Amino acid sequence: MKKIDIVKNRFVFIVPSFVFHFLFYLLPIILMIILAFFSWDLLNSPSFVGLENFKGLIQDKWFWNSIVVTLKYTFFTLPIVFVTSLILGLLLQEENRFSKVMRIFFYWPYMIPMVAGGTMWKWLLSRDFGLVNHILNQLGFNPVSWLENPTLALLSVVIVQAWVLSGFMMMLYIVGLQAVPEEFYEAASIDGASNFQKFWFITLPLLRNTHISVITLTIANCFRNFTIAYIMTTGGPGYATTVAPLYIYQKAFTDFRIGYSSAGSIVILLISLVIAYVVSKVQERDLEGGKI
Amino acid sequence: MRKVIVIILAILFMIPIFWTVSSSLKSMNEIYRYPPTIFPQEISLEGYKNVIYESQFPRYVANTLFVAIVSTIITVFISVSLGYGLAKGTFKYKNFFLEMVTITLFITAQVIMVPLFVVIKQLGLIDSLWGLIIPAVFTPTASFTAYQYMKDLPNEFLESAQVDGANEWQIFFKIVLPMSRPLIAAISIFSFTWRWNDFVLPLIVINSGDKFTIQLALSALQGQYGIPWNEILAFSVLAIIPTLIIFLLFQNLFMKGLSAGGLKY
Repeated sequence: MKKIDIVKNRFVFIVPSFVFHFLFYLLPIILMIILAFFSWDLLNSPSFVGLENFKGLIQDKWFWNSIVVTLKYTFFTLPIVFVTSLILGLLLQEENRFSKVMRIFFYWPYMIPMVAGGTMWKWLLSRDFGLVNHILNQLGFNPVSWLENPTLALLSVVIVQAWVLSGFMMMLYIVGLQAVPEEFYEAASIDGASNFQKFWFITLPLLRNTHISVITLTIANCFRNFTIAYIMTTGGPGYATTVAPLYIYQKAFTDFRIGYSSAGSIVILLISLVIAYVVSKVQERDLEGGKI
Repeated sequence: MRKVIVIILAILFMIPIFWTVSSSLKSMNEIYRYPPTIFPQEISLEGYKNVIYESQFPRYVANTLFVAIVSTIITVFISVSLGYGLAKGTFKYKNFFLEMVTITLFITAQVIMVPLFVVIKQLGLIDSLWGLIIPAVFTPTASFTAYQYMKDLPNEFLESAQVDGANEWQIFFKIVLPMSRPLIAAISIFSFTWRWNDFVLPLIVINSGDKFTIQLALSALQGQYGIPWNEILAFSVLAIIPTLIIFLLFQNLFMKGLSAGGLKY
């Protein structure tokens, strides 16, 4: 009978999943914290170095540079994704054939493997053979080295990230917009509100939860992304597009400084958790305030 | 007016893909011509032929398919089972386990890739396709979606089965699984695309060329000298075709998943 009891509380059903969860999420995090206090090149046995790695990180200007690049990258991507996806959501919120077909074109970039997406853009922005420079040339401008100039390279990576995310966030806006009750608009019309007033005073505030989801998910995506930069610029020129995960990758797998890299991962993980925490607090405050 | 704006925006969004497809169909001479031709003057399949016949392309496809299919099957099974256990279970610390799943939504392989690599190495899975499958089967998104789906599954079915004398396993396999068809479909499709598109894990796990996945091979191709762009672009087009097919076939499911809120992450 005992055996059936174990099954009865259904704990057994979560076991397989948590075995993998433990091995590939929890254990790496524990290991990351331990390794951060060691020096290890993967070949020789690790040696304990105390806080040496963290001290090194504090003085490592390229590490801080990679954090700044990630923050800049997020900071520039966010408004573009926010505005583009909101506009697309407003334009395509209706459930008709046209909207349904057009949504595909905006959502598809999100489905494309980022390696392929990055490759496509690399070709599009290529200095000598790229379509973008060709169009600029036709308009009378000089060709631009998109991926060789530090500022433009970061901008290029931002544009690609926005291209990937906007369609996905658009879908969240469509879902959010469809949930706004029609009565609000009717009441506003009776009061003589203009379309812009309706948008500004009804639509935007009622979409608060969607805004928060879009902002959180965009930040999360920017923080975890390294494929676009890896493919398009390999972090360059110099360190201009070396986002934090890319720097950590290079330290571990090019320089074989596993401990150092782990210490860096901890810093990045903490920063992303702080951001996630702040956003979730904002969300909670809104719920308490009774706002939708 | 609205339609015109939408169409213009859609064209802008599609330019990179159009330009890739168009260029991939050009001959070597034409692809490096300046000013570039917008449409290929003469359709050439040279790039595609070289990729398919001269590289290990069939091998990469087989590797990627193997990884994507096997990990999807395991993901579906463990996620549905987890969702059921979390939603309908009565064990201690249930909320703690649920919290653990939620927290992992914010932690991704990119941030923990170094210690993840160490774990995979210790398990002896480096340079093995299993090293791409096993570490990837637990996905927070699939787990969370499964939990949300199971929460809405009516208890009456489970209870009446219990009254009829069915044991837990029978309930799970004969009632819960068949009732979870939409969930299973959603997890399968998402999981397959994630694994097909994955790059970080293959990058840190795989060394030998004969174990490359599509994405890894495409990335490696760009590091080599003397590889013509029409091959790289043909490769890119081939790499995105499955995602296009899946997306077009299951568009409604993607939309439904989003409106249910479950597949947001």
